[in-house]
Amino acid sequence: MKKIYNNCIKLFLLVLIASSCIEETPNYYEFEGYDFSNLDPNGGTWKTILVTSPTQITVPAPNATSSAQYQAELSEMKQKMSSLTPDEQAAVKYWTNNPVLRWNEIALELAAKYNLIPGPNADGTYTLPNPANPQGPPAFPFAHPPYTSRMLAYLSVAQFDALVVAWHYKYEFNRPAPYQVDTAIEPAYAKSQLPSYPSDGATLALVSKEILVAMFPLETIYLERKYQEHIASLMHAGINVQSDIAAGVTIATEVVKLAKQRASTDGMAKAQTPKPVSDSIANAAFERFGWKWQNMETPQRPVGLTPLFGKVKMWNVPTVEEVRPGPPPAPGSADFNRDAEELKKFASHMTIQQRRIANWWEDGLGSYTPPGHWNKFAKEAIVRHKLNPLRSARVFAYMNTAIMDAGVACWDTKYYYHYPRPIETIPGFKTILGTPNFPAYTSGHSTFSAAGAEVLAYFFPSEAAQFRAWAEEAAVSRLYGGIHYRFDAEVGTTQGRNVGSYAVNRAKADGAQ
Amino acid sequence: MEKIFRLAALLAVWISLSLHSFAQTPWDEVMMGKGEICAALMYEHSSWDQYWEGTYLRQNANIGTFTRQMGMPMIAMGVSKKVNIIASLPFVHTKASGGTQAGQSGLQDLSISAKVDWLQKQVGPGRLLFLTNAHFSTPIGNYLSDYMPFSIGVGAPELGLRGIGGYKMDNGLVFRAALAYIWRGQTEIERDYYYENGSVYSAFMNVPNVLNFHGAIGYWAFDNRLRVEATYQNFNCLTGDDIRAYNRPQPTNKMDFGQVGAWVQYFVKADRGLGALAYFNQTVSGRNVGKATTIGLGLTYQFKVY
Repeated sequence: MKKIYNNCIKLFLLVLIASSCIEETPNYYEFEGYDFSNLDPNGGTWKTILVTSPTQITVPAPNATSSAQYQAELSEMKQKMSSLTPDEQAAVKYWTNNPVLRWNEIALELAAKYNLIPGPNADGTYTLPNPANPQGPPAFPFAHPPYTSRMLAYLSVAQFDALVVAWHYKYEFNRPAPYQVDTAIEPAYAKSQLPSYPSDGATLALVSKEILVAMFPLETIYLERKYQEHIASLMHAGINVQSDIAAGVTIATEVVKLAKQRASTDGMAKAQTPKPVSDSIANAAFERFGWKWQNMETPQRPVGLTPLFGKVKMWNVPTVEEVRPGPPPAPGSADFNRDAEELKKFASHMTIQQRRIANWWEDGLGSYTPPGHWNKFAKEAIVRHKLNPLRSARVFAYMNTAIMDAGVACWDTKYYYHYPRPIETIPGFKTILGTPNFPAYTSGHSTFSAAGAEVLAYFFPSEAAQFRAWAEEAAVSRLYGGIHYRFDAEVGTTQGRNVGSYAVNRAKADGAQ
Repeated sequence: MEKIFRLAALLAVWISLSLHSFAQTPWDEVMMGKGEICAALMYEHSSWDQYWEGTYLRQNANIGTFTRQMGMPMIAMGVSKKVNIIASLPFVHTKASGGTQAGQSGLQDLSISAKVDWLQKQVGPGRLLFLTNAHFSTPIGNYLSDYMPFSIGVGAPELGLRGIGGYKMDNGLVFRAALAYIWRGQTEIERDYYYENGSVYSAFMNVPNVLNFHGAIGYWAFDNRLRVEATYQNFNCLTGDDIRAYNRPQPTNKMDFGQVGAWVQYFVKADRGLGALAYFNQTVSGRNVGKATTIGLGLTYQFKVY
């Protein structure tokens, strides 16, 4: 009997030891609010992307801090602060004083949630997601890499512009933060000299919610809940009174209109073509080069992914043709054979390190896509460098426009050359990653990553080498995965770097340095 | 950190095993005498062409027929009449007839279990039995669990405790039920972000714990040289998410199944020397698993060392 007892104790201890070794699986980036390295008092003079000039959006002059109205607002805020529920306290801690990062995370989460490729119907046909009937099935959108790159670009640009406008009025009106007016107020975040009217948090909350609702129409309720939580947290944290928030909302409303206007006419609605258009694109390539890519799934998908994404309006590059590389080596040529042999070698002698790299960068279906991966890097760099919300939004805006431009450039190249995938050209070839539903040349991962890395290298020069090394690794990961030839990756990297330099040049001239 | 934990856990199990107690399949009532060793070589072939995506049973032409083959050496030893230990290490190979993705093969998980015979009591025309089986398993090698459905295992350490109750009649009929709680740890994956009903920023996935029921009606004939059984088992993850629409499975999924089966075992000479076994299992219900048909064949050799 004693033996049983001992044994039970040992089993219990084992479970206990095991439990204590469990790694955390957090749902968001856990960081504390921080002191901003700089407040950028001249941020209101930076060049905007959608807004012509901050003064095109009218914000009424605020009441003076000595006014009865302001004092009443201050009392209301203090009242709220004095009776926070545990949930409200948790929300204040969650949103932090740089909520740009949280809205970016929400965007990535929705990208991962909607990055599901529609499966075939029982009769072997495919139904495409339809924005006019978002419920589907299949649900709208399919947040594939081009879709996600565009979603993030609009989100980040609208955030950036709205914050520039907010900064403009902050330093025009110079109304101090509540805790500067009333020293009895202990804000939840580090105190700063940043004027609080209009509220940067409120303008960010509304812009982000509205853009994300437009991009993910089925998430309206979820996003509204996040929005309300964020807005409430601004008072609960002691950083804004009601009129700060109202003025922030005013700015956001106007910026959202401009963003939606551009989005409605940027060509995305035509990117996913009907089959006859797709066939004529393939045939044009075949006549020009003597090859064409085909989908190899069963049943075969009749149209590749967004054949006309290459025609979508770019942000920083005047014409897509100027960033289109020359042709890849013809299948069967010596250059092609060399790179195809290399893939066979990788597949038959895969090292653990190569497998790890292929999976680390896969960012495939069900994930936040390569653009999402680079947004995660940006977020972490922003925290390391303690950027304020405006400067954070600037990093995201230039990076995400560069990444979307890279996507447009890459897709133009993909459908112009219409190059077959390794599973088509190498008989019996099997891969450890799924082969995507679009042509090989150039590699999307390589292009997205190199563009993202160029922009991050510019904003964070001390980490430039690391970002560029990551972009190289992302590119080569596709070879290990068996879904791209070396020339897809190398030319894609060059193309992405080139596209990224347009964004960097624009950033250099925006008045922020 | 995880490696240290695995080593520590392995060590702890070895120590607890060497100190005292504990024998055949982990869910049956078979025990061997002191000093008896049974070495077995098993082969299992399992295939499916339909799987449950959540609760929706579907086909996928890019998988076609999925085949999983397993070769498994297994050794059972009678530490004493009341305590047996069993160890096994399967080699698994997977492939799909459709699509363009490569299968996976390699050594899966080393499993060690200890079976204790607590009760054998004559009640009426038979004996009432109660046994327990504690087992521990840990992945060997570095197969990638996050490559489903091709991955050869879930890649997590496992600790289980099973209670086995039965009634073995003097005429050879056996009625048996076993219930196990299986605690499963985490599996390390090769990405640091994944979606599980929301974002997860981690390179580890929590593999759900399991409640596993196994029931059998068996018959021993020809002087205990032939054993035949009809079996049913139910495997239920206690938590976990569903496979999303037309997406691949992952180790965090709530994988459930019900299986009916049959088991035949034949010993050339009563309880020594060569034996052979064969089994068949058909998955009849499930969630986030393939609707598999499984056959297994094995050779056993039993001998006494002390």
